[in-house]
Amino acid sequence: MDKSWAQVQNVYQRRADLIPNLVQTVQGAANFEKSTLTEITAARASVGKIQINNAPTDAAALAEFDKAQSRLSSALSRLMVIVEKYPDLKANSNFRDLQAQLEGTENRITVERANFNNAVQDFNTAVKSFPAVLYAGMFGFSARPYFAAKPGADEAPKVQFDFNKPAPPK
Amino acid sequence: MKRLGALLLCLWGLWLPAAETLPPKPAKYFNDYANVVAPGAAAQFNQQLTDFERATSSQIVVAVFPKLDTASSLEDFTHRIFTAWQVGQKDKNNGAVLFVFVAEHKLRIEVGYGLEGALPDAISKRIIAEEITPHFRNGDYTRGLGAGINAMLAATKGEYQGTGRTNARNVQISPIWIIGGLILFVVLIVVTRGQILWWILQIALSSGRSYSSGGVSRGGSWGGSGGGGFSGGGGRSGGGGASGSW
Repeated sequence: MDKSWAQVQNVYQRRADLIPNLVQTVQGAANFEKSTLTEITAARASVGKIQINNAPTDAAALAEFDKAQSRLSSALSRLMVIVEKYPDLKANSNFRDLQAQLEGTENRITVERANFNNAVQDFNTAVKSFPAVLYAGMFGFSARPYFAAKPGADEAPKVQFDFNKPAPPK
Repeated sequence: MKRLGALLLCLWGLWLPAAETLPPKPAKYFNDYANVVAPGAAAQFNQQLTDFERATSSQIVVAVFPKLDTASSLEDFTHRIFTAWQVGQKDKNNGAVLFVFVAEHKLRIEVGYGLEGALPDAISKRIIAEEITPHFRNGDYTRGLGAGINAMLAATKGEYQGTGRTNARNVQISPIWIIGGLILFVVLIVVTRGQILWWILQIALSSGRSYSSGGVSRGGSWGGSGGGGFSGGGGRSGGGGASGSW
């Protein structure tokens, strides 16, 4: 379980490591909206402050970790939507590589979160089943918290098209 | 009792369509379930990928499906298939799968943990965007898959050393069996006071006379280079790779 938590932290760290480069690349694009980048930088800083070294025992600590990470997730996905308006940036090979890395890392995060949840659920089942339930508490083993599915994660995101605006030239 | 069994079977039948079934482990490295590649080219690709495992131990598998048959996402579905197929060797996790879903025009390269260094997300994405999809857009699956396979093999070539065999051909005899067999033989010699050696000699002599051809020919099965069968080695993936569409 600690091992799968370490993997979760690894993939989140991997995402955080991508951000300075991403911000720099995007900043290079002509008159890119500053507010999105400021939000990403701020979210990354708050993510960096929350480090949990072993599999969390406290549900509140895990929730705080998750909240900071999802703030960064939503800031990043907003960036990716805004980027659609900048064809120069989308054509930039450096940016395209970063985008691929970011997508890959988001997928790794999903995978490692699921692996962690499975590990915790196995652990919790073991702790709660007979006969371990009789003595697990004495040795300090109790059920552990796991990631909750994000509210609305099972719904597809809403996409709004603005038909009044001409499509950017290709 | 029989009626109860029938009832259970009916209930199971009702429940079954809701459950998603993952595609079973493939028998080959190159699997064209959608029939978009000519059999000759498919056999050639399969040979190429078989030879690659012999040379590098890395398992690169291609699976072309007619459609994406899942309620879940492309990434989630392909990751679960990868996990079920256990692509790559257990200790190295050096597998990668190129998934293609023809009806949806979607594809994904899913990379095992051990090949993430050689085939990082950005490279996977470039292979998809620059090697594969331009041909797919022209309807030329054979060339697109060929270019994709070549690029994936080129990227992962130097990562691992092969054993000259594929996992499917790796029939391993544990040393415990050999030692156990020797001990049994010694015990038999002691128990029969050496008579067993004499019996074996007699059997050998008589069989030598009646079956003049003698001996079982081996080697053919090892050296055979016909399109290799794929057998997963226990490799795992952490969701690395890239997706694309055409």
